[in-house]
Amino acid sequence: MRDTVVRDLLQAFLGTVVAVLVYSLAGAGAPALLVVFNAFSIVVLYYSIRRGEVFGALLGTMCGLAQDAFSLGVFGVAGLTKTLLGFWTGFISKRIDVGSLTRNALFMLVMSILETGLWVLLTALVRLKSINLHGGLIFLQPVVTAAVASTLFALERRARARSSRGA
Amino acid sequence: MPLWEKRRSAWVLAGLTAFHILLISVQVPPGAGKSVFEKGVFFIFSPIQSAASGAARGVASVWNGYFDLRGVRRENRKLKQENFFLSQDVRFLEDRLRFAESEARLRESLAEFEGSILAARVIGVDSANPHQSIIIDKGSFDGVMKDMAVCDRNGSLVGRTIPPIGFKTAKVQLVTDKDSSVSVESVGSKLTGSMTGRSTDVCDLRYILATAEGGAEGEELRTTGYDKIYPAGIRAGVIKSIAPDERSPIFRSIAVTPAFRFDTIDAVAVLTRRPGGGE
Repeated sequence: MRDTVVRDLLQAFLGTVVAVLVYSLAGAGAPALLVVFNAFSIVVLYYSIRRGEVFGALLGTMCGLAQDAFSLGVFGVAGLTKTLLGFWTGFISKRIDVGSLTRNALFMLVMSILETGLWVLLTALVRLKSINLHGGLIFLQPVVTAAVASTLFALERRARARSSRGA
Repeated sequence: MPLWEKRRSAWVLAGLTAFHILLISVQVPPGAGKSVFEKGVFFIFSPIQSAASGAARGVASVWNGYFDLRGVRRENRKLKQENFFLSQDVRFLEDRLRFAESEARLRESLAEFEGSILAARVIGVDSANPHQSIIIDKGSFDGVMKDMAVCDRNGSLVGRTIPPIGFKTAKVQLVTDKDSSVSVESVGSKLTGSMTGRSTDVCDLRYILATAEGGAEGEELRTTGYDKIYPAGIRAGVIKSIAPDERSPIFRSIAVTPAFRFDTIDAVAVLTRRPGGGE
């Protein structure tokens, strides 16, 4: 069991490194993109469905804290929201069918909306000031995040189908 | 099967949630220093960010340098660098000239900045709100410490360095961040106040009494140096609009457009010497 925990922790760390890389490249391309696109959420959503709730929660913690470290907000807010995102995404996806593209996209959209809502609520609560919604642009974040994450799934499925056909 | 095995998921969730709530609660109300844990996370992941930005720049550089444009590129880079420092020098000279009262004071002011401009590249922006902070590729190894003023390529004020500061990376709080405050005065009417951010592309000029005279739309604001962080005379912004403050009638509500442009801060200058000469 100890091996599994260590392996999960290492893989979660590698997942976080992937998220930091995606975030850095997106930020280098267009900083404004970071308002409508959350690289950390995409990685958490993707791996939580793949690996389940415990791994999702661990990855959510690491990705969330990394996001907090690159922000001036209260350290731990994104950590908490992403932990809950990872856990519940992994937990629910094991109990309902999220195989098809439409179901997958819809499920991710719902989870992203819940995560963004919780983040906005917590940020407003702990900073005791109204938060900047970028003229409502921030509400596009769940849509873009869900679209990118479900596209990743669709591409992966297509690649697997192609490789199994070729084998 | 032991209870731990049965309820493993629930225990993990409960543990992690409790950890985060504890982490958040020790920081509320905000304003305390950064925890060792937060600094640690920044130290671990900032080199990855730096490497990713470097790789992106490298790929772009290989692409641009293709078909034997190396000589032109090298010259262009040299000219850009020269231009960067010349722009800084011109701005500071202009500012110093305007503020200097005598030749002796001018010499003293110029000596303050000699060899104290450190050019840095922006490698990241705030993950939650681009108007709050940026990350630069210079850190403690390059002499960067907290509370050093940061300007853009035209010498306009961008912000100040804040913890955590890594070995080769540092965080910069932008003047547009809502927790930022800069002591400024208007160039023409000498209206003195505090320029604070809103975490958008507009700032506020606060604590200007409704009875105070002066101040007009389009008037330039410069740092006063009273806050002991930003040297005096740096361009900070321009008054955008003036209206009565409805929430607090004894003050005026003054909106300010920051002098730096968010979309052009790919390179910045860190002033490694603080007002008064301290490093």
